Amino acid sequence: MTDKFDDKLDRVARQLATEISPERDLWPDIATQISAPKRSRWTPMLAQAAAVVLLVGASSAITYVAVKNDSGPVVSIAPELVFEQASFGGNYHLGPGFLDARHGLRAELDVELARLPAETRSDIRANLDMIHKAIVDINAALEEEPDNVMLQQKLLRAYREELTLLRRVGGLTRNVMKRNDI
Amino acid sequence: MDALLTAADSDYSEAMVSADSHTAADEKAWIAQAQRSDARAFEALYRLHVDKVYGLCLRMTGNVSEAEDCTQEAFIQAWKKMDKFRGDSAFSTWIHRIAVNAVLGRIRKSKREQDRIQAVTDTEPTRVATSDTGELQDLAEAVDRLPEKARHVFVLNAVYGYSHNEAASMLGIAAGTSKAQLHRARRLLAQQLEEQGFMA
Repeated sequence: MTDKFDDKLDRVARQLATEISPERDLWPDIATQISAPKRSRWTPMLAQAAAVVLLVGASSAITYVAVKNDSGPVVSIAPELVFEQASFGGNYHLGPGFLDARHGLRAELDVELARLPAETRSDIRANLDMIHKAIVDINAALEEEPDNVMLQQKLLRAYREELTLLRRVGGLTRNVMKRNDI
Repeated sequence: MDALLTAADSDYSEAMVSADSHTAADEKAWIAQAQRSDARAFEALYRLHVDKVYGLCLRMTGNVSEAEDCTQEAFIQAWKKMDKFRGDSAFSTWIHRIAVNAVLGRIRKSKREQDRIQAVTDTEPTRVATSDTGELQDLAEAVDRLPEKARHVFVLNAVYGYSHNEAASMLGIAAGTSKAQLHRARRLLAQQLEEQGFMA
């Protein structure tokens, strides 16, 4: 390679076209992209953070309730709890065993709660409300990002937490009955 | 904003630029308007700079389809970052930097997706259509055949006139690496072009 070659290479390179028109108009695609409503990165992140906080809080509360459980006046309550429909993105599905257990426990919940002291009942209801709110929030985030695996996992965890809580309610009422029997 | 992106608006913006009567003051005004989320002003900026951006993307990728994607990505990123443009450099330089990032980002993504690399490798590259003829076309085709890093440095330095420091900054490499890659590019181009009588 010689200086002569370099000189010519530089000279010819500077003559290469630097402005080239695309073969098609690229603006319509760009316009579509930039006119799309900005999806806040905070929505799914907040939903995830809220879900984590709520689930940790619910777990702690349940543990506390289970430990301090004592008997009290038993009153009947009206069924007020509303359960979210189980729904998912493409990667996870709730198995029939899970759904059967969930439906069975839901049906028994009011009867089980009626056997518990008012304070305990109130705590459980608050915890269930928190879990349901987490499920609603995560489902809302999943509507925007249906294939977000992390959200799907959070939702699955929320359903599991709900199931665990429902089972614990049954356990609590059995303890109450045993102590009353004694 | 949707209302600003109708066909009529598009014609309006195209007219603003195609009249070739724009001045630096016009560009400054469009930048200011685009920074206030005025899509019509941003389209005017697009019309003004698209050939420069597409040209750079095409020279860097050597592939029409990739160049189109990188150009679109560059303008989308520019729209998102308009509030960060302070006017320290020319708008064309600023968007060139974004375009280089778009090209590099696309390459990194391609390398992560092995299947995609295979698909690209198996596909005959689209012939680059430019106004280059004769020895210019010979050089352009030889540049397209350069290894990626050598091609990027050669395009930024020898074709677009960026200094080694500027090119290195855009590419995220050291200035010394830029010089070494340019030397490598020259050597490889010499091998290719001398066979075609480039020096005749």
